[in-house]
Amino acid sequence: MPGGGRCPDCGSTELVEDSHYSQSQLVCSDCGCVVTEGVLTTTFSDEGNLREVTYSRSTGENEQVSRSEQRGLRRVRDLCRVLQLPPTFEDTAVAYYQKAYQHSGIRAARLQKKEVLVGCCVLITCRQHNWPLTMGTICTLLYADLDVFSGAYMKLVKLLGLDVPSLCLAELVKTYCSSFKLFQASPSVPARYVEDKEKMLSRTLQLVELADETWLVTGRHPLPVITAATFLAWQSLQPSYRLSCSLAQFCKLANVDLPHPASTRLQELLAVLLRMAKQLAWLQVLKLDKRSVVKHIGDLLQHRHTLVRTAFREGTAEMETQEKELQGRGQGEEVGNSSLGLPQGKRPASPALLLPPCMLKPRKRICPTPAVSTVTGDESISDSEIEQYLRTPQEVRDFQRAQAAGQAATSVPNPR
Amino acid sequence: MPSAPRRAPRPLALGSPQPPTAGPLPMDEETYLELYLDQCAVQDDLVPPRSPLFSPVVPYVYPPNPSNPETTFNSHLESKETSGDFSSVDLSFLPDEFTQENKEQAVIRSKHEIEENCETQSQQSRLPLPSGQDVGPGLDSSSLSSSRSHLHPGDANSIQSSPEKANSNPSPLASITPMTPMTPVSECSGIVPQLQNIVSTVNLACKLDLKKIALHAKNAEYNPKRFAAVIMRIREPRTTALIFSSGKMVCTGAKSEEQSRLAARKYARIVQKLGFPARFLDFKIQNMVGSCDVRFSIRLEGLVLTHQQFSSYEPELFPGLIYRMVKPRIVLLIFVSGKVVLTGAKERSEIYEAFENIYPILKGFRKA
Repeated sequence: MPGGGRCPDCGSTELVEDSHYSQSQLVCSDCGCVVTEGVLTTTFSDEGNLREVTYSRSTGENEQVSRSEQRGLRRVRDLCRVLQLPPTFEDTAVAYYQKAYQHSGIRAARLQKKEVLVGCCVLITCRQHNWPLTMGTICTLLYADLDVFSGAYMKLVKLLGLDVPSLCLAELVKTYCSSFKLFQASPSVPARYVEDKEKMLSRTLQLVELADETWLVTGRHPLPVITAATFLAWQSLQPSYRLSCSLAQFCKLANVDLPHPASTRLQELLAVLLRMAKQLAWLQVLKLDKRSVVKHIGDLLQHRHTLVRTAFREGTAEMETQEKELQGRGQGEEVGNSSLGLPQGKRPASPALLLPPCMLKPRKRICPTPAVSTVTGDESISDSEIEQYLRTPQEVRDFQRAQAAGQAATSVPNPR
Repeated sequence: MPSAPRRAPRPLALGSPQPPTAGPLPMDEETYLELYLDQCAVQDDLVPPRSPLFSPVVPYVYPPNPSNPETTFNSHLESKETSGDFSSVDLSFLPDEFTQENKEQAVIRSKHEIEENCETQSQQSRLPLPSGQDVGPGLDSSSLSSSRSHLHPGDANSIQSSPEKANSNPSPLASITPMTPMTPVSECSGIVPQLQNIVSTVNLACKLDLKKIALHAKNAEYNPKRFAAVIMRIREPRTTALIFSSGKMVCTGAKSEEQSRLAARKYARIVQKLGFPARFLDFKIQNMVGSCDVRFSIRLEGLVLTHQQFSSYEPELFPGLIYRMVKPRIVLLIFVSGKVVLTGAKERSEIYEAFENIYPILKGFRKA
């Protein structure tokens, strides 16, 4: 609570502003003691509990500020309160909005832009304090289009010359996972599906770190990766009961939207885990597939650093194309060159290339580099070449006739 | 570009040599490359082939001293054309004890240093120049301009005299290792960005009747409710043009500056044939887009941390990192797969320069 007041009776800081018959009072929510009554006080202790009135609430400031700016500033404060941000964030966001408003381009922008600008200021404030707020959340709250938001955001950052840090992945994991409604039994969540929050959080965090290390996060939207990681973490904590639940069902019962790329991320993450599993001797013999590997995620995560180091090796695009060629020619017996690495005997599989999925996919047909043209730009242009683009008089007449017929057809009012 | 690396030396009678420019002159650079290869073809008889023929750095390829054009190029025919030109060479980096002969040797050795540096560096990623790819004149325009002071074209002939000199003057000073070249030539990447799109504008200088153009031209589309210009396309070079009623025209889609100019002229000719007094004024290239592949994956999160003031990486919005280089003023889109798109250039050399600037930075993020 602002002012840092404490109840003189019980000493708690939980002071609530209440109004008793239109007289505002400051009341302790623990013991009910009335700390201050109204504005006029007589005792010294009462005066010590007076709450300050912010300048923005007083009448002086608003006279210099235009109405649309006032509206914008109010929207900024409202947004901060809706998101339950700490009070210091509000002041910073307001300061950014005021700074932006000093630029004529912003003052002249449409209302839609100004609305979106509110979200941009709040987002920048959150990013600078490592508060994990995604653009999707803000767009949903503002009923704004992501394209409009992104344009306004990039322009604002450039205009104000700000250094905006990246989204903090660890914080986002914590916030996002906590929003899953799986930690208490309810009519929609069977008992077997309920999970301990801390265990799920730590395992999800480990899976997201693993994804980051194996190039599944760079360049991609962070949220679907976290969704996939949360699902795998939840499944792996009690695989016997939960393997039958699909990703879509999981999101539905957790009351969270399923982002579209999450299923692809899930497959990629499972592929990484399978490669790591091939390095563990006791898992090799089990011939794991994408479903059974979930049971062993705990073990794999425990040794993930070693496993990633042994299961993968650094590579370049050239090595990738070479290996694909070799496989294509059926020389997969060379264990050293095969990236599929089926285990021969008891030897762990040879390392696969650690590359982002876009570099591992089969290469599209490469456009041949265009032959060097000997065009000088000043060559003579033949008449015949130009004539091919022009209509003959007959064609012009036909075209005009067709156009007139088309217009007549559309202009005739439809009797129906 | 010559298809065979070795050609018989021919007397070279160039037109008046042009003053050194920092801008791209692709056609002239090709001619200079031919000259260099000619010289090498002759020198190969005299000197063990240490100089890599296909090195992207060609220290000799630079406009000669305007005062004596013929002598420098005909030098291989007259070996007596000696190092009298050394007076114009800036050898201030060398210690004072060097005599004239030792100066020659040291300069020669420094040139070989440069060539070897580049050779070892570009061994893996060597571009065979005679195969027809553009050398990328701007690639080393900066290095050439700075190394020009101590690499005089007149030194071409001094190579021939070096074997004799080396044998006859075993001076202790000759063993001093030369200074490192002024430009970090060992950083050359060997990758040349390919131009993908050129946007240019030209003024036809006459008012146009767009309806008439759309009626009489087969390759035109005109929808005034959607856009106030005629969109015209031609097949060769494959381009699109926006023609406005004021007479201004925008031409897009060409893959080189010359193609863009030719295409713009073709559009102007079409408009002329339709009966308008079109001219061809103020042709200007407004934007050039190039792309290339560094062939290794890049940790974009790391790059945005170290180059925060230039980079913008928002994976929620766009998968690539947007790098705004200050000098030259180019915007680069860098992707995790190693593909790089460069845009915002007005000249070809800016794209090459921007890529050479970014390549060492990207190499730093190669090992995750």
